[in-house]
Amino acid sequence: MSTVPIESLLHHSHLRQNSKIYRGTRSFFIPCSLNLPSHFTSTKLLHSIRTSVGASSKHRRSVAVRASSSDTAVVETAQSDDVIFKENFPVQRIEKAEGKIYVRLKQVKENNWELSVGCSIPGKWILHWGVSYVGDTGSEWDQPPEDMRPPGSIAIKDYAIETPLKKLSEGDSFFEVAINLNLDSSVAALNFVLKDEETGAWYQHKGRDFKVPLVDDVPDNGNLIGAKKGFGAIGQLANIPLEQDKSSGEVQKKSESSSDSTKERKGLQEFYEEMPISKRVADDNSVSVTARKCSETSKNIVSIETDLPGDVTVHWGVCKNGSKKWEIPSEPYPEDTSLFKNKALRTRLQRKDDGSGSFGLFSLDGKLEGLCFVLKLNENTWLNYRGEDFYVPFLTSSSSVVETEATEAAQVSKHSKKTDKEVSASGFTDEIITEIRNLANDIHSHKNQKTNVKEVHENILQEIEKLAAEAYSIFRSTTPSFSEESILEAEAEKPDIKISSGTGSGFEILCQGFNWESNKSGRWYLELQEKADELASLGFTVLWLPPPTESVSPEGYMPKDLYNLNSRYGTIDELKDTVKKFHKVGIKVLGDAVLNHRCAHFKNQNGVWNLFGGRLNWDDRAIVADDPHFQGRGNKSSGDNFHAAPNIDHSQDFVRKDIKEWLCWMMEEVGYDGWRLDFVRGFWGGYVKDYMDASKPYFAVGEYWDSLSYTYGEMDYNQDAHRQRIVDWINATSGATGAFDVTTKGILHTALQKCEYWRLSDPKGKPPGVVGWWPSRAVTFIENHDTGSTQGHWRFPEGKEMQGYAYILTHPGTPAVFFDHIFSDYHPEIAALLSLRNRQKLHCRSEVNIDKCERDVYAAIIDDKVAMKIGPGHYEPPNGSKNWSVAVEGRDYKVWETS
Amino acid sequence: MEVSVIGNPQARICRAELAYRELGFRFGSEVISGESRNRVSFCNQSSKWKEIAIRCSQRSVKCEAIVSDDAPPFLNSTPKSKSLESVKLFVGLPLDTVSDCNNVNHLKAITAGLKALKLLGVQGIELPIFWGVVEKEAAGRYEWSGYLAVAEIVKKVGLKLHVSLSFHGSKHPEIGLPDWVAKIGEAEPGIYFTDRYGQQYKDCLSFAVDDVPVLHGKTPMEVYRGFCDSFKSAFSDYMGNTITGITLGLGPDGELKYPSHQHNVKRSGAGEFQCYDKHMLTALKAYAESTGNPLWGLGGPHDAPAYDHQPNSSTFFSDGGSWESQYGNFFLSWYSSLLTSHADRVLSVASSAFSGIGVPLCGKLPLLHQWHKLRSQPSELTAGFYSSNGQDRYEAITEIFAKNSCRMIIPGMDLSDEHQSPESLSSPESLLAHIKTSCKKQGVVVSGQNSSTPVPGGFERIVENLKDENVGIDLFTYQRMGALFFSPEHFHAFTVFVRNLSRFELSSDDKAADVEDETVSIGSGTGAPSLQTA
Repeated sequence: MSTVPIESLLHHSHLRQNSKIYRGTRSFFIPCSLNLPSHFTSTKLLHSIRTSVGASSKHRRSVAVRASSSDTAVVETAQSDDVIFKENFPVQRIEKAEGKIYVRLKQVKENNWELSVGCSIPGKWILHWGVSYVGDTGSEWDQPPEDMRPPGSIAIKDYAIETPLKKLSEGDSFFEVAINLNLDSSVAALNFVLKDEETGAWYQHKGRDFKVPLVDDVPDNGNLIGAKKGFGAIGQLANIPLEQDKSSGEVQKKSESSSDSTKERKGLQEFYEEMPISKRVADDNSVSVTARKCSETSKNIVSIETDLPGDVTVHWGVCKNGSKKWEIPSEPYPEDTSLFKNKALRTRLQRKDDGSGSFGLFSLDGKLEGLCFVLKLNENTWLNYRGEDFYVPFLTSSSSVVETEATEAAQVSKHSKKTDKEVSASGFTDEIITEIRNLANDIHSHKNQKTNVKEVHENILQEIEKLAAEAYSIFRSTTPSFSEESILEAEAEKPDIKISSGTGSGFEILCQGFNWESNKSGRWYLELQEKADELASLGFTVLWLPPPTESVSPEGYMPKDLYNLNSRYGTIDELKDTVKKFHKVGIKVLGDAVLNHRCAHFKNQNGVWNLFGGRLNWDDRAIVADDPHFQGRGNKSSGDNFHAAPNIDHSQDFVRKDIKEWLCWMMEEVGYDGWRLDFVRGFWGGYVKDYMDASKPYFAVGEYWDSLSYTYGEMDYNQDAHRQRIVDWINATSGATGAFDVTTKGILHTALQKCEYWRLSDPKGKPPGVVGWWPSRAVTFIENHDTGSTQGHWRFPEGKEMQGYAYILTHPGTPAVFFDHIFSDYHPEIAALLSLRNRQKLHCRSEVNIDKCERDVYAAIIDDKVAMKIGPGHYEPPNGSKNWSVAVEGRDYKVWETS
Repeated sequence: MEVSVIGNPQARICRAELAYRELGFRFGSEVISGESRNRVSFCNQSSKWKEIAIRCSQRSVKCEAIVSDDAPPFLNSTPKSKSLESVKLFVGLPLDTVSDCNNVNHLKAITAGLKALKLLGVQGIELPIFWGVVEKEAAGRYEWSGYLAVAEIVKKVGLKLHVSLSFHGSKHPEIGLPDWVAKIGEAEPGIYFTDRYGQQYKDCLSFAVDDVPVLHGKTPMEVYRGFCDSFKSAFSDYMGNTITGITLGLGPDGELKYPSHQHNVKRSGAGEFQCYDKHMLTALKAYAESTGNPLWGLGGPHDAPAYDHQPNSSTFFSDGGSWESQYGNFFLSWYSSLLTSHADRVLSVASSAFSGIGVPLCGKLPLLHQWHKLRSQPSELTAGFYSSNGQDRYEAITEIFAKNSCRMIIPGMDLSDEHQSPESLSSPESLLAHIKTSCKKQGVVVSGQNSSTPVPGGFERIVENLKDENVGIDLFTYQRMGALFFSPEHFHAFTVFVRNLSRFELSSDDKAADVEDETVSIGSGTGAPSLQTA
């Protein structure tokens, strides 16, 4: 049997009879043929044993036993051929999988309902969800009550929950999550999107969140699920079959059983809905390559085997003389080979009989150094190995593989040396390779690391990031040009410098002129006007008005048509009037500009809401491409995503041009003097600078709000990372705007609530918030419409507000006072602090010296003329040349001034 | 078959061995910790694996690092490393890398930063070397230690180095001219550029003293020559291997120009003529007399606008204004000829000092794009760019560069017209195109730089400029390392920029697929991009 000459391998017709050896499982090769006609195939058999990763020793034994059932010739040839290369390359193919998502609402008990969401495509599915409560009018989400959260749920900030979908049962193809709804709560609707963690893709309903209404007056934006005649819903969902569970019928809910706030749930019905989804799935296949040197003919025999389905063409060339250039070998070629543009050969692989893949054999001159190839699946699909050509190196060493372990080891090391040389000789390499090796060695101190290439890649990426971050932190702390000083210096150079939009005059005191409820009356502008004189006499210099544009939510933070300034706060004329009135009393007015996102007017052909109307009729190119919900066609976002509305792609020139025009129009038309910029985390600060340059505001402040650092639920003392992010943003705007000092608010929370006043001095003895680093750009505040008011997302410790104001109204930075606090019992105390700040001419760059910072008391002297303390502990300003007299005093705080 | 089992037990063992090895191999590449299965053969295989893995991935490792982001690495198209090499990307070190007492500032940050850049695929680093630091104390006493230390770090990290010899001072950070020069300047203020109000610009010597022995009996050119010679011998070990380029400082901010705005940060006007120092006035007087118009040599133009005035606010720069008159031609020809001859002098000194070391020399031009749309292009006139025949104002300069085989660095490659404020009538794009054309005519090689502060859309604009096949720019220096550079937002943008740089190169590879030696790219070149649509 072993008499078949190797040369015959060149004739594939001959080989075809061997193809049956490929039959059987893909991952475990079973040598089933006892009639192996040539020694080659039998060695092939030997070497193509492919065991799955977790193969047990039992498998191995079985290999040995089975192998022994071959004839003797097998063994002989195994000894005479060297395996010189063997590799199993994983390759990925992207395929589209189709399936469905279903949503089912089911009544379990009287007031206990269950909502299940499932998906039929395998994946790491996560339900990203939140609820709306009765009375919520916006489309923001809220956290569901604790008892609704299934086990394994994770809270995402303060508006969402992520719950993983689980397989219903082993062997079931559906993934599902069930949420128990207790209708005694005031939940009005449940909102969700589905996220596939494997691919990072988000799935939503008609371009919006899925929304399951639980009461009958949930506003329909076309994204309701299960809304039916019972609710008098505004139109059926197109092309989604509504399957009604007949047995359930019309389930009547007794409203008496619900709590007061619960709206009528009369129409609540069970339902079941399905909608089609498709997902791009990466299929893992492999290409296994074995190269051997035939000792008789000194040819290199390469076998390529793959489990890729369909026709696979190998596009290949050979390498000579240490270069990786593709060259055409001399004939003969394998069957089914054609020459491609004189640069490469194309060989179609033979299909395995059982359809589980293809294989091919290439017999090549023994003097060649290697074989390069890529795989072509069809005209448009090529596969390579992690971006590289597949490369099969041939060894020139002739020692037998199946000798002793020692020989093998020697051979390998020889091989690796040779590779080194080859690499350094070939033109494209440079020191990077050694760098990477060193790096890899650094990371895994031991030499025989078993990481794979991908991990090395990731390590390098991480290393780059780490190094950049390190460089950043040192440069930042040692480069004065980055800090206040140089800016001051630059300003000082020109004595008659214009007012900077980041600071105003430096003596500004901001009033937030609305709260979360201000839209309710429909005539807020008029109401506010009446307070103009009072606000002016209190000493405010800047007023922040609510977002003026048409908005999907009544509060104005979901803008739609930017040029329509009739809102729930009043008409454009009332707005203009109000601005005029405040100008008259000497107060500048800030417009609340929501630039990060904008709600669309129309759906695109896929039913996704991403086409805008009005004067700025942008299309999906204005939306960032990585917004999970809205199929944007713009560039990737330069910041974080706000996911309730399409995020605007500010890197697009037309977008910036339009926004600049709009800002200028607002200045001109309404008379705004500056801006409060909403959710600036969503885009790069450099664009903000661009906008400020264009609109030239008197004062501008951005809302950069993210979470402080906590360890095990306890706030960290050092919040440098947090304030750094804010400072970085301000810096990106080149200081053209200030930013709300969220850090200071956060630290005040903990310091006051837990009586940990020591937190109020950083290690350098400066205030620990943004105000300690870049006071002139810090807009200090203790509450706003989001954190306080009726939303209360992050409310300042109750009863301790005045300590907060004693702090921010005496310290540098530009303080902002919340409307609700001004018109409350705190009015006289706030008025006294305001008047002190103006009287002593404290400003955004005032110098603060922390005099005492202990567990129960914090005290500081500002500009040598104002002293303050907060906390229950005792403090008296130092006796000396100065004459301190008490200016304002209240619960746990005291402020002195020099007379 | 039975026979074989009995008859050749040896073979069975071998075979089993082989199977184990294969397993080991798979374990290695699947990153399943193989310790529990340790066999000698396993180790062998895994070391073999390691070497294969590295081999397969040399390029991909490097490129993936650039590609970064979220897509699975193997789905990304792989830019070829060659692509980055065809446009060399350099990054400038901070101006105050070496302090005036010869310490390396933020040493740790620079080391970390250089490593990051190296991994990212950046080829080299630009190092500004200040006259005022090296020859600070006394004439002829050079102190190179700080800069040598930096060169050594750059070399160790495996990057190339491009040095800029700066004969000027800087305001931010504060680096002056050498102390002994400043002392001379106190006694002899005529060595500095001076405007018509008598304000001196103390960060650069006036072009008019180039060949006047004002520095302890030596001319500035002789002093520069000494500086170059000393530099050459101090850095001889690095020359040609680590150091691959030398830029000569040609004037204020290192650029060939008059300091027409002095230190005014806000450049609302077109700048003013800086021809009022003693030596300039003397030269002007002599020139006026030699051309038979002695009255024209008494001072600069009387009707030029002030620093903060609009160029059109007085008659000099307006259409049909003095600049177009006979007097204008007289004055501007003289003013610009001094600039040209200064460039020639410095470059000649440098090319003779550095002849034979095989390192290309460069000089930097300013990109005076403001008011470019005015016919008079006043910013260019006050800075010294003029042509009496009304033709190419850069022709004389490019000729000098060509004559000294010097490359030209043009900054502002990140600027685009649309981001300029419309009132300034600025057009960086057309000015850049103009200078590039001028260079092409004379065969001067162009290198690019960005402007010093990030501008919106800057990176995209740079890539576009580098793509311009009309003038093949093969070197781009990004300015400049520092806190802002490494800040998360910016560094990310920079990473994306490096990726884009290699992307477009990839597509040009595709175009070149028919070229004979592009065989390699068939596989990964044409194949890879289509993968993404697969």
